[in-house]
Amino acid sequence: MSSTRRVYLDHSATTPADPRVVAAMMPYLTERFGNASSVHFFGQEARGAVDRARREVAGLIGARSNEIVFLSGGTEANNLAIRGLCEAVEPHGRHIITSSIEHSSVRGICEALEKRGWEITRLPAYEDGIVKVEDVRSSLRTDTVLISVMLANNEIGTIQPIQEIAALIRQERAQGCKHLWLHTDAVQAAGRIPIEVEQLGCDLLSLSAHKLYAPKGAGALYVRRGVRISGQNVGGHQERERRAGTEAVPGIVAFGTAARIADEELSVRNSHTAGLRERLESTVAERVPDIVFNGHPDRRLSHISNISFRFIEGQSLLISLDLEGIAVSTGSACSSGTLEPSPVIRALGRNDELARGSIRFSFGKDNTVADVGYLVDVLSRVAEKLRSLSPLNPKAMASRRFPQTVGRD
Amino acid sequence: MPYSEAFKDHLTNPRNAGELADANAVAEETNPVCGDRLRLSLRVVDGSIEVARFLAYGCPPTLACGSVLTEMIQGKSVEEARQLTRADLLNALGGLPSHKQHAAALAVETLRTTLESGCSGLLSW
Ligand SMILES: Cc1ncc(COP(=O)(O)O)c(C=O)c1O
Repeated sequence: MSSTRRVYLDHSATTPADPRVVAAMMPYLTERFGNASSVHFFGQEARGAVDRARREVAGLIGARSNEIVFLSGGTEANNLAIRGLCEAVEPHGRHIITSSIEHSSVRGICEALEKRGWEITRLPAYEDGIVKVEDVRSSLRTDTVLISVMLANNEIGTIQPIQEIAALIRQERAQGCKHLWLHTDAVQAAGRIPIEVEQLGCDLLSLSAHKLYAPKGAGALYVRRGVRISGQNVGGHQERERRAGTEAVPGIVAFGTAARIADEELSVRNSHTAGLRERLESTVAERVPDIVFNGHPDRRLSHISNISFRFIEGQSLLISLDLEGIAVSTGSACSSGTLEPSPVIRALGRNDELARGSIRFSFGKDNTVADVGYLVDVLSRVAEKLRSLSPLNPKAMASRRFPQTVGRD
Repeated sequence: MPYSEAFKDHLTNPRNAGELADANAVAEETNPVCGDRLRLSLRVVDGSIEVARFLAYGCPPTLACGSVLTEMIQGKSVEEARQLTRADLLNALGGLPSHKQHAAALAVETLRTTLESGCSGLLSW
């Protein structure tokens, strides 16, 4: 039963490092090991590499290099953006508007602020998983200082109307509302849809390297020129006082290289993953009954497909696929005996059964048509098996099996 | 803690899945915390469990516990089946992570209710 074939369909969780990225990074682990803050040759060599990476990351989102702060990843970027801004602007108000489908890091940060007396408005995402600008408008208060809405969702891939929200903020500012900022978590979106911060109109934008074929441990926050945030890591002058600590040069170099390649290959990667996803969704729809596709059909990232399988629990489907070498993910978790159906799928108005039975398939640049074929074969077989033993499935209840041994009556 | 071979085997090849048309003891239990469900149907003849079938919805341990439970009680007397404990199921599955052991508790509870449903029913065992 054990198969050696492995198919990785969890690129929203993380991506393998691109060999080109690894090659660019390697010298900074060995001969070019300097501390970017040192004044000697070794330090300047490292400094030059960090500066170049900063230009490359800035290039991916149309920012200036001095607007990029290097960090450890997307979670830290979200922390610095939200906590750093809130701390800096607290005298002007303590109200944040966010969405009900944010990544757990943003959710967690907002909850932590809530415990300290901040007020949080969480916007609905409706059935298609997209927030409405009208809701942002009607939630605005005189003490609102931050709007934090992700650019694209990590579970269903839906793309949020950030540009429209930014336009709304500009109107508010024109009317004298000076202390209102916009943060967007672009960890999933970066490298997958074109991003131009000037056009987008956000003040803060989070990025993570490991979703872009670079190693884990690097990320960045774009901070628009003129926006003040309080550093959360203090005790050093690095990153213009916004993030103290010796720069992780190898990871930063890798991030820069990955950002440049992502920019160059964006449209090729997009049409590749869009094709695979279309293939997956059309063949699954043909071969597996009782499924529901989650998220807006068009306004979403090209590499994510999220499907709820009725009568089945997501963890069981995930493990069954894993036993056949296929890696996917589910937003629901059953831990410590408590059930948490995916909060994102619940936010779409789906019931607990559909939220528990949701699976995310996320494609990458190296997946193939054959991967999709293998997935659909295994998936249809495994889904049928799990359904045949589900008490939620009317057919399993109806098709009562007869005893193998004939009993006495 | 990685799942054992026995566990994986029960998950990939569930034993005795389905529902008996001529069962004389049937019950379904739901774990109130996580919503996992287990349904057992038994055919008891002369005080012994001749055939057992299960249906399960929930995380993998719930499915594996349902499968291993039917395997362990089939052919046993009702009295013997009553003695079955969580630990017996866990042993048979090569252990479960501590936060998943409630799956075994659900299985034992479902077995008890099923046996009681039969006892208080019309059939005399
Ligand atoms: C939308 C989104 N934001 C933030 C993060 C966190 O990024 P990191 O893993 O780099 O901390 C993730 C990663 O899963 C994500 O998908």
